[in-house]
Amino acid sequence: MSLADETPSGTLTPQPTAGSERQSPGSRPDASLRPLEPSAGGPDERVPGAFGRLLRSELRLVLGRRRNVILLSGLAAVPLLLALVLFLTRSSQSAGEGPGFVGRVTENGLFLVVAAIFVCLPFLLPLTIAIASGDAIAGEASAGTLRYLLVVPVPRTRLLVVKALAALAFAGSAVLAIAIVGLVAGAGFFGLHDVVLLSGDTVSLGAGALRIAGVVVYVALSMTGLVAVGLFFSTLTEVPVAAMAATVITAIVSGVLDALPALHAIHPWLLTHHWLDFAELLRIQPDWRTLASGLGVQAAWIVIFSTLAWARFTSADVSS
Amino acid sequence: MGDSARMSSKARWAVPAGAAVAVVGLFAGPPLLASAGSSGLPAITPQELVAAVASHQSQALSGTVAYTARLGLPSLPLGSASDSADPTNLLSGTTTMRVWTDGQERSRVSLIGQTSEYSVVADGPQAWTYSSAKNAVVHFTLDAAAAKRFQAEHGKTTSTPSVAPSMPTPGQLADQSLAQVQKFSTVTVEGQSKVAGRDAYELVVTPQGGGTLVSRVVVAVDSQTKTPLSVQVWSTTNTKDPALEVGFTSVRFAMPSSAVLTFSPPKGASVQQKVVGLPAGHPMAPSAPSATGGLPHGATVHGTGWATVVERSVVPEHGRLQGHAPTTVPAPSGAASSGPGMLGQLGGSDGSTPGMGGDQAALLNELTTKVPQGRLLSSALISVLITNDGHVLAGAVPAATLQALA
Repeated sequence: MSLADETPSGTLTPQPTAGSERQSPGSRPDASLRPLEPSAGGPDERVPGAFGRLLRSELRLVLGRRRNVILLSGLAAVPLLLALVLFLTRSSQSAGEGPGFVGRVTENGLFLVVAAIFVCLPFLLPLTIAIASGDAIAGEASAGTLRYLLVVPVPRTRLLVVKALAALAFAGSAVLAIAIVGLVAGAGFFGLHDVVLLSGDTVSLGAGALRIAGVVVYVALSMTGLVAVGLFFSTLTEVPVAAMAATVITAIVSGVLDALPALHAIHPWLLTHHWLDFAELLRIQPDWRTLASGLGVQAAWIVIFSTLAWARFTSADVSS
Repeated sequence: MGDSARMSSKARWAVPAGAAVAVVGLFAGPPLLASAGSSGLPAITPQELVAAVASHQSQALSGTVAYTARLGLPSLPLGSASDSADPTNLLSGTTTMRVWTDGQERSRVSLIGQTSEYSVVADGPQAWTYSSAKNAVVHFTLDAAAAKRFQAEHGKTTSTPSVAPSMPTPGQLADQSLAQVQKFSTVTVEGQSKVAGRDAYELVVTPQGGGTLVSRVVVAVDSQTKTPLSVQVWSTTNTKDPALEVGFTSVRFAMPSSAVLTFSPPKGASVQQKVVGLPAGHPMAPSAPSATGGLPHGATVHGTGWATVVERSVVPEHGRLQGHAPTTVPAPSGAASSGPGMLGQLGGSDGSTPGMGGDQAALLNELTTKVPQGRLLSSALISVLITNDGHVLAGAVPAATLQALA
């Protein structure tokens, strides 16, 4: 996750200047990264607020990175494209049809948010999130900046937490990008109206918007398990692409297993099984236990894979 | 960190291992505890229990129902239940339903699809079905005569006539199973269980006399309210799993909010009006007439009890053999009726059909096989034979019995 691709620096200078190595103008101006004496003890006590500064700089890195911005723009283009297609074909015969919520968009622009999320959920969203989270540690390692970051010294646990939070923030922004563009485009193309629930009942625009905000939050939280998986893979390798691919494959394999009826017994535990449960929020009386169990499964994946990532990252030899 | 530096590398890996164990324990734990023995219910005789169920005041409740059918039907090209909520899903596999009822004449049953829903709302003398996938409403109202009877009976009996297409909820199935229990079955209370977190008696109904596909019916009856919480119908052809299993996974005995029990068609939905009558002299749902009353016109009955076969001529009335064949087949007896009941709803008999389109014939062809006598549907619980000369025979009996009768 370094800037190494933007500031190609083949010559890594030894430890004392390590902090400045990651530092391209304006992107990581942190005092916390000033070289401290490498007593592997606790920098926590010595530099108050160091965590906050590290997190801020990491967030700036992740969210400001050109590749990530392009990824977010790509996701944001989905609702635009969807709205455009549905708008142009709205008077054709196939109007009002489509999988999931796509058929409802022309009646109510608010559904563009849900339809776009529904369209992105199987592949595009996991792909984007896998790229960001798989890159978190492996990216630094491949760029050769990880060891310098660690001898600064930033404790490994703290670095991992910061990386995880930044990857989570990116996942949240990805879902939010779809939602915001979807809302604006939906309102612009089709207008906002009272919301017809899956149960056939109609609720007011305000209540409907609240439910759809709930959908966005649920989907964003549903991505957290995948972020943890990506982070773990990222600690295993110095090749970022490998970590990204492994993360995407995890999501896809989970989806495939979920489609096999013979594996019915393990379905509730799968990473992707509860992703579509966001539809629960669009029923007349949402079953909160369904939503809670979906989030519970995500929490289980987070606990297992973040501890795995921690165990790996804090015990591995970092050679580059 | 300071402590992590002191921790050996092996000890670190123990953390995720411990976390995994804790997670598995957390998730797998509760069911194990819940299914552990639930003793301490006062003893009750089978007769008392059957009587209590029969006379129980209908309870206002809301809950989630899991429905599983293992009827051994050929798998449908429509795919599994995941895609869109539709009553055809009830023919095989597992379906989740939400149930709300005020215990009297208002109720809502929703089939839950992953991103869709099929709702049946009964509100006194009218009923609605809504399919979110098709954005289509069907509005059922009583014809003039039936409406008059509804007014007359309104408030006098607990079983007011229902216009809604019946859905296989535990209560509905149990009522059918216990209807003719005394005559043709042995009934025992086998013990106690826990369903949806509530203590329940297990009532086992075993058909007597043989000749039927039903080996036994197990009804779990809530110990407090005497409400049926789950029903399992076991087939003689499969001793490992029940052929039909309907039960609450969660239930709450409280009056549902009024908003759930009412319905008005959403803007933009297609609305189809259907006027239905009630079977003469019988205040029951039109789609589930029993063998004792409400036999459709022109039907003959072979055999008795569980092995009853009902024969009916369909051609003169409808002329659409394929679409309507199994539909008006009445429940031969008790529990087995759920199978034909659902099949019946698919075909679309007396206007109580939840939204099947013009592909009924194709669906029927998919489900049946060609035999010398006509087309045969054989499943774990029910056999239906549509003869070449336009008769339909149905019953909870082996297919060979029907072929011999034809």
